[in-house]
Amino acid sequence: MSSISIAILPQLIINGLIAGSIYALAASGLSLVYYVVKFLNFAQGAVITISAYLFFLFLDLMGLNYGFAALLAIASSIIIALLMNLGIYKPLRKRKATNVVLMLSSLALLIFCSSLMLALFGSGTKTLSLQNKTFDFGLFTITAIQISIIFSAVLLLFLIWLIIKKTKLGKAMRALADNKETAQVLGINPEKVYSYTFIIAGALGAIAGILIGLEQNLYPRMGVPIIVKGFISSVVGGIGSVPGAVVGGLFIGLVENIGIWFLPSGYKDVVSFTILLLFLLLKPKGILGVRMRDDT
Amino acid sequence: MIHEYLLQFLTLISIYIIAVISLNLAIGFTGLLNLGHMVFFGIGAYTSAILTLHGMPWYIAIFIAGLTASILGIIIAGITSKLKGDYLAMVTLGLVFIAIAVSRNWSSLTRGALGLPGVPDIVRNNFHYMIFTLMISAFCALIFYRLVNSETGKIFQAIRDDETAAAILGKNTYFYKILSVAISTFFAGIAGSLFVHHINFVDPTIFELEFFIMILAMLIAGGLGSIKGSIAGVFVLSILSESVRFISFSPALLGAFRDMVFAVALIAILLFKPRGVFGKVDV
Amino acid sequence: MLSLKNISKSFGGVRSVNKCTFKVEPNTISSLIGPNGAGKTTVFNIVSGLTKPDSGAIRLLDKDITHLPVYKIAQAGISRTFQLTKVFRNMSIRDNLLIAKNADEKEMKEMLENIYLHKPLDTIASELSYGQQRLLEIARALLMPHSLLMLDEPTAGVNPKIRRELKQILKKLKKEGKTVLLIEHDMEFIMGVSDFVIVLNEGRVLKIGKPKDIIKDKKVLEAYLGK
Repeated sequence: MSSISIAILPQLIINGLIAGSIYALAASGLSLVYYVVKFLNFAQGAVITISAYLFFLFLDLMGLNYGFAALLAIASSIIIALLMNLGIYKPLRKRKATNVVLMLSSLALLIFCSSLMLALFGSGTKTLSLQNKTFDFGLFTITAIQISIIFSAVLLLFLIWLIIKKTKLGKAMRALADNKETAQVLGINPEKVYSYTFIIAGALGAIAGILIGLEQNLYPRMGVPIIVKGFISSVVGGIGSVPGAVVGGLFIGLVENIGIWFLPSGYKDVVSFTILLLFLLLKPKGILGVRMRDDT
Repeated sequence: MIHEYLLQFLTLISIYIIAVISLNLAIGFTGLLNLGHMVFFGIGAYTSAILTLHGMPWYIAIFIAGLTASILGIIIAGITSKLKGDYLAMVTLGLVFIAIAVSRNWSSLTRGALGLPGVPDIVRNNFHYMIFTLMISAFCALIFYRLVNSETGKIFQAIRDDETAAAILGKNTYFYKILSVAISTFFAGIAGSLFVHHINFVDPTIFELEFFIMILAMLIAGGLGSIKGSIAGVFVLSILSESVRFISFSPALLGAFRDMVFAVALIAILLFKPRGVFGKVDV
Repeated sequence: MLSLKNISKSFGGVRSVNKCTFKVEPNTISSLIGPNGAGKTTVFNIVSGLTKPDSGAIRLLDKDITHLPVYKIAQAGISRTFQLTKVFRNMSIRDNLLIAKNADEKEMKEMLENIYLHKPLDTIASELSYGQQRLLEIARALLMPHSLLMLDEPTAGVNPKIRRELKQILKKLKKEGKTVLLIEHDMEFIMGVSDFVIVLNEGRVLKIGKPKDIIKDKKVLEAYLGK
């Protein structure tokens, strides 16, 4: 068994919830776009990275106030996400590109952005200068930033759920997700809805980027492992389902952190990837049993 | 100086040609979207590195490198044979991340993130090595050309165009798909082995997506389903990326600029000329 | 030649094919008809192995082929076409035919002549019109060595000229004593070439008989027109 005492378990669970919240945020952007636009948009990792670096730029390099820097970073990232759609994905769709081509383009975008961040900001790790408070609850400790991560994740995902379930836009998204042809016949403009989808996903990614930047450090390729975890969480929870992203994110976060009890921490990644493979091969519809795009 | 540079360039081109043509067999000729192709390249590199560092002669090591990559390829192809489209792409992409994680953590075998330095040369002389890789590359191109025009090659293409139709014409598509992967990954492994004996070093970064995006860009640029396209694609994009050398400001940034070039090239090709130069097939 | 016994198949709770039983005699042309959703294509998919039945058995020339993989059923002697033409789009006419049989140029040219496809062997399949691709698919199916030919709605979506040519092709096959199972909606077409007609409705075999009997049957008319 483990050489670590059980007293550490509550801390591990909290760590799992924190990590899970981050993964859920990353995964939900991915899942939302997969749900509506029907392709795996790995460039979501680029949005996360850009947002974190822009926040760093405005906060540390330009000395702006925290709230203002955050808003500016988020707004810019949303615009960038929208531009990616309008500049690359939309023209590809016009050429009748398959969703595989869209996914490959998104991978190329992710690589491009990581390299761009490296060129612009250097390969070194950056730390955001923000004061953090630690709270000791006896059984576990948690910082203010970590609390805001969990809180933001809950709030944002609730908002997304509201949008999808209760608004007209959400209805249009669901219609498109269900059947594009039928939705068009009903007067829904797909490209318009796609644009809104990228705005929402961009916002999710932007906020995730800021939170991750605060919690961990910034480095140019940070988007890759984050979006990979997001990808795993989406698959595990049920790809194309935002609730699935949440369930999957929490699941992976918890398994990884509680798994430390049994395995050395370096194997965190191996654990998640094994879970990924198992789900893809044995339960591809994920925990929530979501319909995949290829099913008719 | 220029002479050395040219030798390096031609050696790498020869190695990339093998990697791109073998990927073309899987994607362009058989329709199997293997996003994990460079995992097999990396496995070939690591296998050859580890074996030669332990004293095995290179000619056996290269062969075992190819074989190891191929066996793993066969296993994965067997497991994933029923998966289509998105699922297959996801699984093969997952392989990339798994390979990075395993190579980083299996320190006893791979020395983790430190990598394996000091991998022996096959021949000391760079000129001889360039000729060596060039010859192997030409030989591979010839083998693949004969293969895709053979009856087996036609069956691969039939599977790409319509697997169901191939099956109702009496072809065992399961067998042929696995055969295609076995050949494709074998040569990926060989290419990886030649690579590691050229740069004398291997670490987990060999598995990273940047490398795959480069190979993919070369493949698409040349065109799916065309052997000469792959050769052309490697040349054109290599020259393009080498020209970055003259623009970039510092050696540290060179890698980043090159990655950007390949990423942009891939997107541009997909946007404006998805069939590439010689391609017969849509992506 | 072909016998289905009690073939049943459900998809997610819906009984698509229900205890379907019929025979196809050698050297006859049989048509499988029925309203949309009757299960005709499902039956075709089950016989050719693309779908596995929940229960029942299929025999071809007295060999049980019920659970064989698709390619083995093809090798056993069943050749088929599809409602939505499945040619190898990026390959030439020649290569499409070569997959079916390693024939020589002469045989391939003859086949193209016989099915009224007057295009050079080097033409890439995607360059052909839809109707021509249909003819290519049939040529390919004919070229592959087989005992039973199954055609799924060969005249669907093609222009009148191609439809006439298809009729001629079927008449030729009849003259040559081939065994064919056909799914069709074009009644005139069916009546002109079929020896037998099998009527399917809601997954069940409603009636089997000669064309002139089927066309007058009250139950068949009801199935098509509704009560």
